[in-house]
Amino acid sequence: MRVATGGPGKAAEFWARRGTIVLGGLTVASLAVLVVLGLFVSDPDYQQGDAVRLMYLHVPAAWIAYLAYGVTSLASALYLWKRTRSPAWDTLAGASAEIGVLFTGLTLVLGSLWGRPVWNVWWAWDARVVSTAVLFFLYLGYLALRRVPADPAVRARRSAIAALAAFVDVPVVHFSVEWWRTLHQKGSVFNRELNPTIQGNLAWALLSGVFAFTCLYLYLLERRYQLAVMEEAIEERALEAAIAERRAEADVPPVRVPS
Amino acid sequence: MIDPPVVLVARPKPKRMRYIVAGGLCAAAVLFLIVGGLSRNIVYFRTVSEGVTAHGKAPDDTGRLRLAGAVLTGSVERRPDGVTFVVTDGTTRARVLHHGDPPELFKDGAPVVCEGHFVKGDRAAVPTFDSDRIMIKHGAEYRPPSVDASK
Repeated sequence: MRVATGGPGKAAEFWARRGTIVLGGLTVASLAVLVVLGLFVSDPDYQQGDAVRLMYLHVPAAWIAYLAYGVTSLASALYLWKRTRSPAWDTLAGASAEIGVLFTGLTLVLGSLWGRPVWNVWWAWDARVVSTAVLFFLYLGYLALRRVPADPAVRARRSAIAALAAFVDVPVVHFSVEWWRTLHQKGSVFNRELNPTIQGNLAWALLSGVFAFTCLYLYLLERRYQLAVMEEAIEERALEAAIAERRAEADVPPVRVPS
Repeated sequence: MIDPPVVLVARPKPKRMRYIVAGGLCAAAVLFLIVGGLSRNIVYFRTVSEGVTAHGKAPDDTGRLRLAGAVLTGSVERRPDGVTFVVTDGTTRARVLHHGDPPELFKDGAPVVCEGHFVKGDRAAVPTFDSDRIMIKHGAEYRPPSVDASK
C-alpha cells in the first residue's frame, strides 16, 4: 500500500502499523505458550485422559464466537442510534461477524472431534449442539444479507437489525446446558455457582487458550476491518469513475450528420 | 475522438440472486435444525426412574428413548455380541442389553446415556432395555489424576 506523504497522516499510519505488528507478535507468542501448556505441561484429565486437550481450543473458539457477535451487536446498535451513526460501525459489525462465523464453525468441528472419543458420538441432537449450529447459520445468513446489493445506508440499517435479531441465540447457546437436559456438560468456569470446576495446570492451559484466541481475534478484526475499508474505497472509486464516464458521454456534443 | 476515462477497477456486477439464495438456504438450515432436530430432542434423555415408570404404565410400547444413569459397579458382563450391565439413577434400576462394542471410556460408575427401547411386555421390576448406542455424559469437572476429588 502507498504511504501517505508527510504530515500527521504518515505518523498515524506508522503507529497504526506498529500496533498491528505488536498485536500480531503477541498473538504468535501466546499461541506458542498455548502449544507448550496445552500439549506438554498440562496433565491429562482424570477421566478423559489426553482428549481433554481439545478443550483448550474448543472453549476459546466458542468464547471468541460470543465475543465477535457481541462486538457485532454493539457496533450495530451504535449504527442504529442516530447520535452515533457512522458507516464505520457497519464496517466493524461486518468484519467481526465474519470472524465470529469462522470461530463458530471451528467450535462445532473441534467439539465434534472431542465428542467422538469422550461421548462416543460425533454429533448429538442436544440443545447445546443444535443451538450452536443454529448460531452458525444465523450469522452466515447475516453475511449473505450484507452482500445483497442495495443502497449503502439501506444495507447498513437492514444488516444492523438482522445482527441484533441473531444475537438472541447467543444467550440461548450459553444457557442451553442449564435450561435443558443435554449430553453436553455444563459450564466449568461461568457456571451457576461461579465456582470453576477445572483445576491445577488444566486451568492454566485453558486460560492461556482464551488469552491467545482473544489476541488472535483482535488481530484478525483489525486486519479484516482495514481490508473492508480498502474494499469500500475501491467500490467508491469505481462508482465515481462510472459517473464521470456517463458525464463525459453526456457532454459530448451531438455528432453532426454531414449533409 | 475523445479518449474514455481510464477506469482502474471494473465495477463488479451485482450478484443479487446469489446472495438471496445463500441467505434463504441459511434460513432453511436454521428452520430444519430447530423443527427437525431440536423439537424432538429438547429433553435429550430420561432418567432411569422416568423411563422405568413410563415403561411400567405401557409395557407393550417399544418407542425409542435415551436412558441416562450410572453403570452399577460390578454389574458389567462382556458378551460376544456386546455387553450387559445395570444402569441406575440411585433409586431405580434397569438392565441394559447392549449390542456392539461399548465406548472407550465405559467402565464401572461411568455416567451413560443409552439409546434404544425397553423389551416389549417386560413387566419385571428391573426391566430390560435393548440398547444399540451408548454415550458417555461427562461432568464439567476437569483435574489431573493426582488432585484429590474431595478438594
